[in-house]
Amino acid sequence: MKTFDVGIIGGGVIGSAIARELSKYTIDVAVFEKGCDVASGSSKANSGVVHSGINSPAGSLKARFCVQGNTMFNDLAKDLGILVKWVGKYHIAKNAGEVSKLEKLKNVGLKNGVPGLNIIDGEEIKKKERNVSCHSALWVPTAGIVSPYEFTIALAENAAVNKVSFFLETKVVDIKKQKDFFQIFTNKGEYQAKILVNAAGVDCRNIVSMVEKPNFNIYPCRGEYLVLDKKCSSLIHSMIYPVPVKELGVLGVHITPTTEGNIIIGPSAEFIEDPYDKMTTKDMMKTLMNEAQDIIPKLSNDFVINAYSGIRCKLASSDAGGWADFRIEESTINPGMINLLGIESPGLTAALVIAKEIKTMVLNHMPLKNKDRFKKRKQVKRFVDLSVSEQKKLIEKDSRWGRVVCRCEHITEAEVINALCNPLGATSLSSVKYRCRAGMGRCQGGFCTQHIIRIMEKQFSLNIESMKLKSSESYLFTGRNREVKDEKN
Amino acid sequence: MKKEITCIVCPIGCKILVEVKDNSAEVCSGNKCKQGLKYAVSEALDPKRVLTSSVLVKGGLWPLVSVKTSMAIPKNKISSVLKEIKKKHVKAPIKSGDVIIKNIANTNIDVIATKTVNKY
Amino acid sequence: MKKIESDVVVIGAGPAGLSAAVSAKQHGARNVIILDRNSWLGGILPQCIHDGFGVEETGSSMTGPEYAEKYVKLAEKHNIEFMMETMVLKINKNHEISAINKKGIFKIKSKSLVLAMGCREKTRWNILIPGSRPSGIYTAGVAQAFINLYNIMPGKNIVILGSGDVGLIMARRLKFEGANVLGVVEILPHPTGLPRNVVQCLDDYDIPLYLNHTVTFIEGKDRVEKVTIAQVDKDLNPIKSTKKELKCDTLLLSLGLIPENELSLDVGVKIDKITGGPIVNQVFETSVPGVFACGNCLQVYDTVDMLSMDSKIAGENASKYVKKSKKKKKNISVKPGKGVRNVIPQIVDEKGITQFSFRVKKPKQNVMISCANEEKIIFKKKFRWVNPANMIKINVDISSDIIEKGQSLEVSLK
Repeated sequence: MKTFDVGIIGGGVIGSAIARELSKYTIDVAVFEKGCDVASGSSKANSGVVHSGINSPAGSLKARFCVQGNTMFNDLAKDLGILVKWVGKYHIAKNAGEVSKLEKLKNVGLKNGVPGLNIIDGEEIKKKERNVSCHSALWVPTAGIVSPYEFTIALAENAAVNKVSFFLETKVVDIKKQKDFFQIFTNKGEYQAKILVNAAGVDCRNIVSMVEKPNFNIYPCRGEYLVLDKKCSSLIHSMIYPVPVKELGVLGVHITPTTEGNIIIGPSAEFIEDPYDKMTTKDMMKTLMNEAQDIIPKLSNDFVINAYSGIRCKLASSDAGGWADFRIEESTINPGMINLLGIESPGLTAALVIAKEIKTMVLNHMPLKNKDRFKKRKQVKRFVDLSVSEQKKLIEKDSRWGRVVCRCEHITEAEVINALCNPLGATSLSSVKYRCRAGMGRCQGGFCTQHIIRIMEKQFSLNIESMKLKSSESYLFTGRNREVKDEKN
Repeated sequence: MKKEITCIVCPIGCKILVEVKDNSAEVCSGNKCKQGLKYAVSEALDPKRVLTSSVLVKGGLWPLVSVKTSMAIPKNKISSVLKEIKKKHVKAPIKSGDVIIKNIANTNIDVIATKTVNKY
Repeated sequence: MKKIESDVVVIGAGPAGLSAAVSAKQHGARNVIILDRNSWLGGILPQCIHDGFGVEETGSSMTGPEYAEKYVKLAEKHNIEFMMETMVLKINKNHEISAINKKGIFKIKSKSLVLAMGCREKTRWNILIPGSRPSGIYTAGVAQAFINLYNIMPGKNIVILGSGDVGLIMARRLKFEGANVLGVVEILPHPTGLPRNVVQCLDDYDIPLYLNHTVTFIEGKDRVEKVTIAQVDKDLNPIKSTKKELKCDTLLLSLGLIPENELSLDVGVKIDKITGGPIVNQVFETSVPGVFACGNCLQVYDTVDMLSMDSKIAGENASKYVKKSKKKKKNISVKPGKGVRNVIPQIVDEKGITQFSFRVKKPKQNVMISCANEEKIIFKKKFRWVNPANMIKINVDISSDIIEKGQSLEVSLK
């Protein structure tokens, strides 16, 4: 059996960032992901914000990694070929009474080295954001937005192209420490790795308890979101955040534009028992819209096209204030096992910095020799964003660029095919959606689903019964209506 | 024997009570018009339905051809008709109107194609 | 960029587009092109394999595919040109269409344009059903396409939300295909589909109909596992104590249709907030001269017969527009009054017998429908029954006086 040098448990944004960082070296790296694709958990279900660093207490790992990650993000985005938009953020004070909170935030930001912070008058803000009424706001120019699933997929695919092995639908069920390596038992068989990186998100404690008694608890905290139609995109340009309600524990209901032109409202913050309880609830959906309407009265449920929720892996309970720093540490009981615990916001912003930390920790165990060639990832522009002459050239080369299968987002057959040809081998309906965007428009797959399924069936010979929405057990169909003995149709 | 028939002639959907004796039926109450009366009697005595379904096609542009019974069949024959339709395979090309199954389930009624499916 | 010019361009080859195109040709348009995004003609009709189409029009009941084929044959006979698998990306204010298909990118200029894009289905998020987001949640139309076009079965144990005709038809279809249909859930106190479908799709197969109920929660970690339904009060709010769980693996949503008007907005037509479709005059011309709208993108129709009838008028006038563009005329607006939800056309600019189609707000029996301006009632008719699920048509004689007066008309119910 092959012994990987590093086995990463979890294909979220952190696991994928680590995989990519380590793929720059001539070591063998594997990622074990229980979902059908990377970014199956919290990595796709968040706000997609590249934070400035003002929300974390000065001196914390969160603050340090966030500020550093923020400055590195633009270059990272270029290297990965993904879009990041530096739209900035307004922390708004609805009235004079909230201004002290703005100043408090600003001070934390200054301590953390966040540049360009400025408290601006409501009248000035109205000139840039005509739909937002407030007393004043803290303007944070270094805050940006990114598509969190696009980011994670880019990290993972870049890692895969640079020889990292991704084992999807592979759930780690037990770990045994041997002298020089770890035995990793999964639902798909046994693997071995000299070093283990636990980047399992909300499952991080389960993974730790496979080898030792955890000295921590996790407190799952659910964040629900509403996604608004692109028709709303002109309502705001920057992120609009009301001041935090609690002291640095929870961020409150925000209005965030996305890189694609939607607006998301959220997240809520609800401590729950079950870390897999990703329900969207009636009360919360109502609260989100009500709070958003307080800031932008034009908003209404008529614009909602989707709702989702993600689970934060918190290390502090609600009673204890709900805030704890990142814990990135090598186990003393089981050397070689590196645990990443409580990686919630600003985890996405800090991903590259965290990855480099892990690299340093791996270096303690083995030499890391640079690969001769590290393949970068080229940006894949959407067909609709190309010039007419570029579009024509593509259609001439392959006519499937001329067939639009997603009417809302104008995604072509060729893009769906390219999505299915991804280097990770992910072929669920969501894998297609998160790569090429088909199904994310206002009709929510009403038109494109049948066409995507037909492409999967005909061009990729995928079996109807094995087609999934997102997770291993999320089958789409129960079979055929008429038995086909030899599949010609 | 008394039967309650929901009239389908117009959207009011009157509930009509019909008394069925041997081979005759008489409306007791419930109808608001003459058409309802006529419908209730025929539905009580001899309920019929046009059945639509699909048949597997081999070598066609589409995997299925939609079909219908050329006339309404007795309601109690529905499951046997469906069984036969499920087992049937046809080869493309199929033209709309083609007889797919003759005299289905001994009803003396044919199942015909309602769609044209060309060869792949 | 390949350039194409045509007298009339029709967007959508569903029943509306097909009948409008045929009518345009019959009324003298030299060339008519229909654009459709699918590889087949007929729009939604090929997947509507049930019968009941064309009864008013032809006297015989056809299935959807048969009805489509009839019009496709007519269109072919009239040498109407089709551009298939062609998506209109945008239209500018000069009616210039940018369209794309496997052959390339086209700029299509037409003298008159007919919008016949149809509609899309309401999704779970249009009514914000809480719960998890598992697989197994399908809108009725999508499930219908899978079963009837692709030989794919979406599930085994089905709950259907919405008792409109699509939901009822699917209840029977699923039953025919061996599924266990646990019930149809309807928020109103009465089914919204035709009694014929309630009888032939539910009663015939003992499928329970839960009136005054809605789905309040969807559960399932990966695939739907159960849904919670509850009775609703007169304000349509769920009554907590009546909650009931239905174990199932599929939830079919038949929540209603939304007219597709992205392209209409591109062209700049004014939209009626209630119908969600363009504001039109008595010949289905929108607020943009030379642009006509018909079919489900104008308003959601109950029967294809009514839809085709109106689409033919749109097509005819699209063709007339080519020969002679109308001068801007004095017009009056038509509004829904008491008890009426919406009326089409919303504008009348020509005297004569004008057909109005409208829907009432609530089901009622023995009512009087009237059409009046500020001064007088110009039309009155008794109806034995009226129902929001059934579009009603009335013919009102509008004199030139009425148009001259400039007062808006109101169609209302007493």
